[in-house]
Amino acid sequence: MDLFLQLLFQGVGIGAVYALVALGFVLIFRATNVVNFAQGEFSMVAAYLMVVFAVDLGWPYWLSFLIALGGMALLGAIFNLGVYYPLRHRTYLPVIISTIGASILLANTTLALYGPQPQVLQGWFDAQGFQVGPVFLDSQYLLIIAVTIVLVIFNYWFFERTLLGKKLQATSQDKEMASLLGISVAGMIMITFVYSALLGGLAGILVAPILFVSIQMGSTIALKAFAATIIGGFGDVAGAIIGGLALGIIETFGAAYVSVPYKDGFAFLVLVAFLAFRPQGIFGERVAEKA
Amino acid sequence: MSGANEAKSSATGARRGPIGQAAYAALAVVAIFLAATLKFDGYTLNILMQAATYAIAVFGLSVVLGLCGQINLAQAAFFGLGAYAVGLGTTDAHMSFWICLALGMAVSLLAGALLGASTLRLGGHYLAMVTISFQQILTLVMINAIGFTHGPDGVSGIQRPSLFAHQQSYLAFCVGVLAVVGWLVWRLADTRLGRAMRAVRDNELAAGVAGVDVYRTKATAFAICAMLGGLGGGLFAGGFAYVSPDQFSFAESVVFLTMALLGGVASPIGSAIGTGLLILIPEWLRFLKSVPGLYLAIYGLAVILIVAFMPDGIWGFIAKLFNREKPAPAPGAPLKLSPSDAGGVNVLETDVLSKHFGGLKAVDGVDIAVRRGSVHALIGPNGSGKTTTLNVLSGLYTATSGRVTLDGRDITKLPPHRRTAAGLGRTFQNIRLFRSMTALENVVIGAERPGNALVEGGGRAALDQRALAALDFVGLASRANEVVTSFSYGHQRLIEIARALAANPTLLLLDEPAAGLNSTEKKSLHELLERIAASGLTILIIDHDMTLVSNAASHITVLNFGKRIADGESMAVLRHPDVVSAYLGAE
Amino acid sequence: MDFTRRHFTTGLAAGVAMPAVLRSAHAQAATVKIGMVLPVTGPAADAGRYSLAGAKIALEQVNKAGGVLGKPLEIVTEDDQTTNPGAVLAFSKLAAQPDIVGFLGSIRSTQDHAMSQDIIKTGKPVMFGGTDPNLTHMGNPWFFRCRPNDTYSGRVIADYGVHALGKKKWAIIHSTDAFGTAGGKALADSLGKIGATIALDQGYANQSQDFTPVVLAIKQSGAEVIGSYFTFENDIGVFARQVRQLGVNIPWVGSPSIINYTSMKLAGPALYGTFGVADYAEASSPEAKAYGDAFRAVMKVAPDNQSSWCFDAVNILAKAINAAKSTDPKAIRDAIIAIKGYKGAEGEYNFDANGDGLHGYNIVKNDKGTVVFDKHIEFKD
Repeated sequence: MDLFLQLLFQGVGIGAVYALVALGFVLIFRATNVVNFAQGEFSMVAAYLMVVFAVDLGWPYWLSFLIALGGMALLGAIFNLGVYYPLRHRTYLPVIISTIGASILLANTTLALYGPQPQVLQGWFDAQGFQVGPVFLDSQYLLIIAVTIVLVIFNYWFFERTLLGKKLQATSQDKEMASLLGISVAGMIMITFVYSALLGGLAGILVAPILFVSIQMGSTIALKAFAATIIGGFGDVAGAIIGGLALGIIETFGAAYVSVPYKDGFAFLVLVAFLAFRPQGIFGERVAEKA
Repeated sequence: MSGANEAKSSATGARRGPIGQAAYAALAVVAIFLAATLKFDGYTLNILMQAATYAIAVFGLSVVLGLCGQINLAQAAFFGLGAYAVGLGTTDAHMSFWICLALGMAVSLLAGALLGASTLRLGGHYLAMVTISFQQILTLVMINAIGFTHGPDGVSGIQRPSLFAHQQSYLAFCVGVLAVVGWLVWRLADTRLGRAMRAVRDNELAAGVAGVDVYRTKATAFAICAMLGGLGGGLFAGGFAYVSPDQFSFAESVVFLTMALLGGVASPIGSAIGTGLLILIPEWLRFLKSVPGLYLAIYGLAVILIVAFMPDGIWGFIAKLFNREKPAPAPGAPLKLSPSDAGGVNVLETDVLSKHFGGLKAVDGVDIAVRRGSVHALIGPNGSGKTTTLNVLSGLYTATSGRVTLDGRDITKLPPHRRTAAGLGRTFQNIRLFRSMTALENVVIGAERPGNALVEGGGRAALDQRALAALDFVGLASRANEVVTSFSYGHQRLIEIARALAANPTLLLLDEPAAGLNSTEKKSLHELLERIAASGLTILIIDHDMTLVSNAASHITVLNFGKRIADGESMAVLRHPDVVSAYLGAE
Repeated sequence: MDFTRRHFTTGLAAGVAMPAVLRSAHAQAATVKIGMVLPVTGPAADAGRYSLAGAKIALEQVNKAGGVLGKPLEIVTEDDQTTNPGAVLAFSKLAAQPDIVGFLGSIRSTQDHAMSQDIIKTGKPVMFGGTDPNLTHMGNPWFFRCRPNDTYSGRVIADYGVHALGKKKWAIIHSTDAFGTAGGKALADSLGKIGATIALDQGYANQSQDFTPVVLAIKQSGAEVIGSYFTFENDIGVFARQVRQLGVNIPWVGSPSIINYTSMKLAGPALYGTFGVADYAEASSPEAKAYGDAFRAVMKVAPDNQSSWCFDAVNILAKAINAAKSTDPKAIRDAIIAIKGYKGAEGEYNFDANGDGLHGYNIVKNDKGTVVFDKHIEFKD
């Protein structure tokens, strides 16, 4: 039982990381119908920004955090203008390739600027965590879980209760209709990219104290988050969260009870099972095309 | 999924004549000769070997992605299957290189077919995910099944066939294989299978309705792609004598895909260019290595720029500069329409046909009987279920209940392409042509429907003849070799009708053919319908244009809210009080 | 102007290879070149920087002492991108330059395996740092190892844990890559010979984000000591922290990566008190100390084995070429094998016929972030 609880906590923690990145995937997918293969690099860039300001320059953590998020907003905007916008009238394939190019560009530009050394970034809290009975609760994972919960609530409020959120929803559902209603589609897509970059960056900053800051940190998480997105059903915010958590838990328990070396395979086995038996994901999405 | 319309090839139709083929053969011979005789150092040899074997795998992608419009992010896995078959086969199992190579291709083919088959109803991103998953799982197996695969150590000491034991003779052999595969892929575009793939790529729904077995075509494309991946991988293993899991990772699959798209996915020449460039660019940029990451950053930027500014890839860009359109051939004999008259007096009958979407009864127990040789109209206000009925008839929707019989044969459960084979032809309200193809090619696909007795055994010439005759029938034969997107809206409609006519159908379903046409076009459409009807072909037409309907149709069925509210001789039906109130409101 | 035909042909050859011209335009034919394959990009790029620094320190010293055969030595590098295919291309690119007389291969065994065929084809000596024992036992006469191989590290870990620490019940944690698998196996074999028991033998895939299941398995196995073979520093960092968090406080003796600079920086206090086998330990000898000082002066960080073997490799190559009095590959090979009792930064080199130069390891302790030399264990068989 002790073992079970510890694994559960860890699974939820790592799952929350996947969920945060998956959220970024879903938002961009809903708005543009495109999978952003550079989503993981958003996390990586934000973590490096934190290292530059909080560690190298020694500025206060909160200030560095705000600057890093500001940088991510800017990156999201540039990404939209440089990678997505020129291809907006084309099919998803060239856009996928373009985001793959962007991911190579971002990773290696960071490498060229900052060098290959993995870096250490301290967490928000000095305490490593708490021992609750037999279970050790890592403070950073607790923070990640808390942020995930807050973001779920925020997203719900934002998309369901605010005008801007509703405009974004309308745009993602029917661009033509949205523009007829006087919504600036280009503007909404811009906001989506900025918001996704912020979410990806937030995930990167939160996970950095655990996984360290390295050039590769984004791509490994992103692939899992991608799988989480499918399990949850592309295009559904709640689905991304649940998909991420489910994946984290399956992976942790799979590693504990089945095989450690094949740990990364569980994600994809679950994925294949979902695609075979429930391609619309947990929450469903329209798959067929109208005649 | 409409797939990658993007991958349209302006070059597919060009230069496949005997001159082009002779030039290709000459070029291939020169390349093989140079590979065998030039003195290369080890580095150049490695680069060339890598380029030649990768290009074979990328040719596979130009089939699945370029021709068929399906994404495959697991080509490195198939490549790895072939490589490991040769690697493990020649070392651990001490088998002949050739047997191992064939085995690797067979395993890849099987895996590809299964993967393709599992994606029956999945497209786009889902397909991308299935292939990524396959890729990841295979990589993990390669790393962790140490007893079988040697794990991350990889397999070394891989044998080459004794005939090509020398490095350069082996390279020459690989170049030879590359040339043959390139030729086959090049020619594939112009075969029945190739046309079917392009049709699926351009418009899956229309392809099904034009008689293409969409599912099988996709699975076949996947299988071919995987098999070529396995072939390339097997040759790669022989070339480098060493394979290890990280050579076949997801990242490599992405590289393969980028190679295909960069060069121009529509043609094997583009694939070859893309492969060469993507192997060479990072090598050329090596001199920038003093700043770690800089050359890969430039490479990433180059990918973004090429995608943005050369939508058809580098070769597509070049080919456009040289592309000339062939003049249209003169049409021969006029179009012959000989609809089957095997069944009874009614060509088509529906029996309490229903189609429900959740709680919505879009079609609710409708009976229709279409008499042989008649023009029968199906009308009704917006949302009355006309188009749904047509979609159920042509197999795009499966009926919730009821029966459809064509020429006395129950077709209720058949998929669209089988109905087409059975003699159904149709057009769409929102035109569905194969946008990257010429008018002639579009119509050829129609003519090619299985069971079209008028072209059977005649080969390509007979198909072209029939397609041209069909275009001539609608008055567009002189523009046969133009890409369909260059035609006006009205003319695209006519091409769609020609495509259906070329198949020599028993029954022609027309879905709002007059929608969006101006009055002149409508007049000629009416005249065309009369000519079709005169040939004895039965027509079931949906339209809002009452003048057209009442002039053309002898018999009318009226739907409202999914139910049949009137049926009978045209003039009588149009005066029926229920019909009047349905159109004008209840008062 | 004395423009000989030889000058002309070399010039022409260089002109064909554009980047080569940029690199060495001012030093045509006036140097003796050795090629070095190292990671500039990819996960091991960090280690690559240190390797290059180590090699350059040796280069400077060799040249200050008069170079080789009266000419200055020069190092030509290529990026292996931390991948196997990258290593093959990088090596063959170097091998295509006929004036390169010897090479520095990789510290990663998989890459050395990958390059092996090309190395045999090239037929010139390659000094390398991969520790998979097989590399010098598979009939490639051109491989010379400048680090002790894993049969020794396994024996030293087992010996130290069982005899010095008095722990009999082991948990072996190893990466599933070539290095980790071979190391884990060597450790298990050595433990078997001493009569210790293995409570857990657990592999993990590189770049894991979470080790909770592994740590809990150690806890449950009741092991008294951990023996580890980790490949990447971030993995050690994550693992070390979770080991401590989940209350596993048994001694831990790890392969060299546990005491390298980057892992110690990443893991911080989580690695305090652990033991590592080290082919390089600064306090193990005056030569090691001297190298450490030189490295610190250049890189401003503590030296580790990523660079020390490169330092030795360049020195040994230079020494062998001078001893052979020619750049003929066979003569250099014979001269390397003849090297006995050479004191390098890593230890005393006594090359055997297989090409293994070192036959023992140091045991060091991480004492609150500084590496403290404990003892050296040398094997004669």
